[in-house]
Amino acid sequence: MTKVKVAMDWLAGCAGCEMSVLDMDERLVQLLDKIELTSTPITDLKHPPKDGVTVGILSGTVNNTTNVEVAKEMRERCKILVALGDCAVFGGLMTMRNFFNMEEALKRAYIETESTVDGIIPSSEELCKPIKAVPVGQIVKVDVHLPGCPPSADAIYHVLTELLEGRIPVLTGDNLKYD
Amino acid sequence: MEKMINLRINGRQIRARSGQTVLEAAKAAGIDIPSLCHHPAIAPHGACRICLVEIERQRTLQPACTFPVSEGMKVETESPKVVEERKFVLQMLFSERNHYCMFCEMSGDCELQALAYQYGLDHWLYQNPYPKISVDGTRKYFIMDHNRCILCRRCIRACTELAANNTLGVKFRGAKTMVSADMDISFGESTCVACGSCLQVCPTGALVDRKSAYTGRNAQVERTQSVCLFCSVGCGIEIVTRAGRVLRVEGEWEEHNRGVLCVAGRFEPVYDNRERIKTPLIRKNGDLVPATWDEALDVIAAKLKTTKGNQVGAWTTCKTLNLTMSELFAVFQGKIGAYVGVLEPTLAELELPLGGTLSELVASDCILVVGADPLSNHRVLGYHIKRARMKGAQILLVSDKSNELSGFADKKFTPEELSKAVKICQAAATPFVVYGGETTQKDAEKLAGLKRKAHFIPIFPATNGYHAKVLGLRSGMDGNNKEVIYLLLEDVTPSEEVVKRAQEVKFLIVHTSYHGPITKTADVVLPSLLWYEQEGSTYNLEGKKVPVRKAVPLPEKLIPESEVFTQLAARL
Repeated sequence: MTKVKVAMDWLAGCAGCEMSVLDMDERLVQLLDKIELTSTPITDLKHPPKDGVTVGILSGTVNNTTNVEVAKEMRERCKILVALGDCAVFGGLMTMRNFFNMEEALKRAYIETESTVDGIIPSSEELCKPIKAVPVGQIVKVDVHLPGCPPSADAIYHVLTELLEGRIPVLTGDNLKYD
Repeated sequence: MEKMINLRINGRQIRARSGQTVLEAAKAAGIDIPSLCHHPAIAPHGACRICLVEIERQRTLQPACTFPVSEGMKVETESPKVVEERKFVLQMLFSERNHYCMFCEMSGDCELQALAYQYGLDHWLYQNPYPKISVDGTRKYFIMDHNRCILCRRCIRACTELAANNTLGVKFRGAKTMVSADMDISFGESTCVACGSCLQVCPTGALVDRKSAYTGRNAQVERTQSVCLFCSVGCGIEIVTRAGRVLRVEGEWEEHNRGVLCVAGRFEPVYDNRERIKTPLIRKNGDLVPATWDEALDVIAAKLKTTKGNQVGAWTTCKTLNLTMSELFAVFQGKIGAYVGVLEPTLAELELPLGGTLSELVASDCILVVGADPLSNHRVLGYHIKRARMKGAQILLVSDKSNELSGFADKKFTPEELSKAVKICQAAATPFVVYGGETTQKDAEKLAGLKRKAHFIPIFPATNGYHAKVLGLRSGMDGNNKEVIYLLLEDVTPSEEVVKRAQEVKFLIVHTSYHGPITKTADVVLPSLLWYEQEGSTYNLEGKKVPVRKAVPLPEKLIPESEVFTQLAARL
């Protein structure tokens, strides 16, 4: 049987969701009998393959212009897109800066931080531009929402096994958590 | 007899009382209808629309919390239409302000979050507009984060209906609506009395207790039902603890105070940072040095055995539990014939009745307050008097001093004019007399005329004044020159007069929780337990015996006061 191709990528996040993926422990090994992880932020290959994957998983908030590109690339190359974690689903911690304007936020981060001396706001042309922090669903269509900060390994395993069975997963009980 | 009504909820035949709401009828029948703005202790409001149900022949869905039952009514509480609407309502609630659970203090205990879990909300349909909303941290004990507020108005109703304080309201309309205090000033500057009723009923993380924030969720803490020992109202409390530490105090809904507490019972005790006495202390060469209980009790017993009984005096604060006070009496008077008294007035000499209840007080049409200032030192009783006033009761205040209740009194009298007030009470249907420590014997004689007509509520100046009265203990230290004095103070700071009298004595034994001027001259100091370590019973202002329960394990080397008396008696 050919394996189902799964690609992961991250946006503005903390890698907590990826830790939770690893927390599946030996179940991850069992899953690898059925799925092929083509690319992830924590393996060598970073971009989802051009010929596409069945399931794409994105964690983190869409926080800047690079995040928008990454989200769009994943959407184009996957059939089913999973938003993994509170940041991808709701916008998460990064949205706290939406309560301020960009200038205030950048000034606070790069100049006014208590540990900063002679700080400057980065302005190189090569850098991406920060945008209002939004969940993935605001940029591209999301098929499966898996909230949690981070979602538990059980919830991630549930979502992946349901998808392998050909069902769109429904989260209930302990699998549905916002914190 | 109340009229009974037949209705069907989810196809089940239900009988309900006329006047009940659909929510109440369903709850009584064991059918759960989710609610959010509703709280059983306050009036239904219908603000949040979570309890929407389908009622036959009603054009739209109706809120179960405000809709009255009627004969033949057919209700569906979880039909597809209802569930779809509830999910929509939840989506609207989440879309308005900052409802990110991941960094919210209430996450895990939040009623809004619980409903979102119940209805499987896995993402938001409407994106948050990120309105810049302030946090009000101007109050000492708890903060208001408007970002977490869902405008259910539970706090406003609790402020008005439970504390009768009317501080809270809303300003603006629609999505811009905000909870505000008085004429839109900060909570800290407002007429808020910090009773914390709003904090206790808030369903989300909008109102947050400063001291216990982030210290444990409901599933991680222990709750002990006990009694507030900080005045004679004797409010039912729940002491919330974790790993032997007191996190906060909440009002007990099932007791006479119905969940309401005041700043002196809910917040101040948790902030007490006086220096605790941890072991018995004996004075040696002028200094107080730590000793074992055996050493300390041996010294006391030796002194008591070599002193004539009539040269020994034992005084206790009325802030002691029933058994402690009885044992003190039994050991000092029964065993060695010493004089036993209490430090605070017991109102015994007034020979006035008691037994009036808070629920009856609220329904009274005329309340006469004599020799007391309930709003400043028996506040929960004060709130109930104000509640009665809001329902139309006439408040008659007899006082010639400044009194917190002045602004709420319909008629004010000087003590000389008491007879006039009594006359008004005679004409009332259900009069109440609330009398306190400054009531004179002359006042009492005039009030005695109301014994048949009125209910009486005594305000004992100290917590368990009722038991001291029952034991017949006399109050005050006047005219008693003793060689040996034993003082049981618990956590009470004694008056300067008591300290002065104690300094004159040859041998002073002080049983107290904290160091202070009184322990400086003591010959023996015994450590006493604190309010959350005590176990036993006390009397509340209705004259009802109520159980006091220990909420944490006793610190090493501390033993209960009654046990100290037992061990002392064995040595005499």
